[in-house]
Amino acid sequence: MTALLEIRDIAKSFKLKGHWLHKKTFNALSPLSFTIESKKTLAIVGEAGSGKSTLAKVLVGAELPSSGKIYLNGQLLQDKRFKQRCQHIRMIFQDSGTTLNPSLTIEQLLDEPLSLNTDLNQLQRKKLIRTTLQKVGMLGDHMNFYPHMFSGGQKQRISLARAIILQPQVIILDEALASLDPSLRSQMINLLLDLQQQMGLAYILISHNLGIVRHFSDDVLVLSQGEVVERGKTAEIMKNPQHKVTQKLMMSQNFQLRNRS
Amino acid sequence: MNLLDIRNLSIELETPNGRVLAVDRVSLSMKEGEVRGLVGESGSGKSLLAQAIIGVLEDKWHVHADRFHWRGIDLLRLNIEERKTLLCKDIAMIFQEPMSCLDPTTTIGEQLSEALDNKQFSGYFWQKAKKRRAAVIKLLHKVGIKKHDFCIKSYPHQLTEAICQRVMIAIALAGQPILLIADEPTAAMESTNQGQIFRLLASLNQLKNMSILLISHDLENITHWTNTITVMYSGQFVEAGTTEQIFSKPLHPYTRALVDSSPQANLQLPAKSRLMTLPGSIPILKHLPIGCRLGPRCPRAQQACVIAPKVTNFHGHKVSCHFPLRVEPLKKERSSKGNSKQVTSKEGL
Repeated sequence: MTALLEIRDIAKSFKLKGHWLHKKTFNALSPLSFTIESKKTLAIVGEAGSGKSTLAKVLVGAELPSSGKIYLNGQLLQDKRFKQRCQHIRMIFQDSGTTLNPSLTIEQLLDEPLSLNTDLNQLQRKKLIRTTLQKVGMLGDHMNFYPHMFSGGQKQRISLARAIILQPQVIILDEALASLDPSLRSQMINLLLDLQQQMGLAYILISHNLGIVRHFSDDVLVLSQGEVVERGKTAEIMKNPQHKVTQKLMMSQNFQLRNRS
Repeated sequence: MNLLDIRNLSIELETPNGRVLAVDRVSLSMKEGEVRGLVGESGSGKSLLAQAIIGVLEDKWHVHADRFHWRGIDLLRLNIEERKTLLCKDIAMIFQEPMSCLDPTTTIGEQLSEALDNKQFSGYFWQKAKKRRAAVIKLLHKVGIKKHDFCIKSYPHQLTEAICQRVMIAIALAGQPILLIADEPTAAMESTNQGQIFRLLASLNQLKNMSILLISHDLENITHWTNTITVMYSGQFVEAGTTEQIFSKPLHPYTRALVDSSPQANLQLPAKSRLMTLPGSIPILKHLPIGCRLGPRCPRAQQACVIAPKVTNFHGHKVSCHFPLRVEPLKKERSSKGNSKQVTSKEGL
C-alpha cells in the first residue's frame, strides 16, 4: 500500500543579498522526507523560524522547493501544475478574518474554487455549496451573507468549508486553531475530527499548542532551524522527549500541568 | 485594605438605537501583591474593564459603579484631571502586540527616556542627561535585556516580539507602579517566549510586591502564574476564586466547560476523542440574551435563568448562577429558599 502523501527530500533555501561571487544562501529547510496515510494527522511543531510555515507553503505549492519531490497516491506532483494540486491539498490559515475576501458573499467565495476546478453547472454548484455549509455546521442560507456578518469561529468554519468543498485528501492547518476562543476551538476540533472520519482526510497540523497536538495528532515532527530533530508517535514523544528542543518546548508548556496535578 | 475595590461596575455604549450594556455589574477587588487573572473570551468586556480602570475610555462609553475605590479613594468623585494625576503614578498598563504599540519612528532609548520623569533626577541640568541614560539602562537590565547598547539604538522593528514586550514592561516600570495591568501580554507569541514574559512578571511581583492584573482569553495559559482568577462571559461576572478553587471545583457551568474543553487540562482524556463543548457561539453586542447571558448555551439553563442571577459566596468562592454545580444539597435548599441569607453573607464579606 502506498502512502497518501509522500514527501521525499524536500529542501528550500533562499538567496540572500551578497557579493556576486560569493552569494549567500539561507537554508530554511534541510532535506526532509515523511509520509502521511489517510485518516491520520501529522503535527509539525517547532519554534519561530524553524521552517514550519515554509514547509506548509512548499506543500501547497505557494513556494517552489529547491530540491525534492512530492508524491500524492504514488503520483508525482509537478511544481507548476496547480490544478492537480489545489484539488487535493488545501490549506486553512491562522486569521480567517483576513483570508476571506470582504467584498464577496459566501456563495461567491465558495463558488470560485468550484467554477475553476470542476465542470458542474450553476445549479449543481449551488447545491454543493449548500450541503458543504451544512457539513461544517452552518445554515445553507448563510451563503448570501458577507464575511463581516460572521463571528471569528464562523469565519473559520467558512474557511474550512472552502477547503473541503473540492473533496481534497490533505488539509494543512497552519495555526488554524490558535486565534480562536477556547470554547469555539473545541467545537472546531470536534468538527475536524468528525470530518476526518467521514471523508478520510489527512491533516497536517502546524501548531505551537502542545495540548492540541497531543489530543489531535497521531504522529509528530519536531523542527528546529529547518531540520527534523525528532519524529515519532505523538504519545511516545510527549511521554519521553529525547531532543533538547522538544524538551524545551514541553517544559515551557508543562508548568501548568505539573502545578495542577 | 484592598488596593482596588470595584463593586457592580457597568459600562454602557451609546448607539443610535439606545444604550447597550456592554459590561453588566462586574465586581473586582485586588489586594496588594496579588496576581489576579481576568479570563474571558472575546467580547466578554475584559479589555473594557481594564480601560475603565485606568480611565481611557472614549466619551461614548458611560461608566457607573456602586463602588470604585483605589486605595480608599473614590475615583468616581474625582474629576478627570485629579484622576489622571493619581492613577498615572500608580497604575501602568501593557498591551498585546507590543510591536504595534511602540512608536516605530523613534528608537527604544528615546521612548524609554520619555517615560522617565525629570523630577526623579537630582543635580544640575547638565548632569541630568547622563543620569537619565543610566536610568534607562537600569530599566532595561531590570527586565532582563543585557545588550542595552544595541537595544537603545534600535527601532522596534529590529527587535523580536519578546524583546519588544520586555521594553513595554520597562516603560511601564518607569513610573514605579503599584498595579500593572497586562492586557493579553503574550497573545500570538511562541510558547517559549510566553514563558519568559510570564516569568519576568512573576519575578516583578515577588521582588517589588507589585500587583498584577493579568488579562487573558485562555484559562489554561495563565493558571500557573495567578493566585486568584475572575471569569467573565459576555460582559457578565461568572465566577471568582483562587486558582485552585476555579480549577479543581468550578461552580459555574461556563467555567466547567472552559476547564473541560482544554485538552491540556485533562491529561487522562484519550487522544482524538470528542471534547466537551458548549453549543452555539458567543453572542454579539447587538443581540444579547436577557438575564444570564450564558442562558442559550448553558446545559443547566432553566426558566429562572431569564433573570440575571445574584452573586453567591461560598467561602470566598463567588459564583453568579442560579444552579451552580457541586453544591451540597443542604446549601442548595437554603439558597433557593431564602435568598436573603445568602445576600447577608455576601454583604458581610
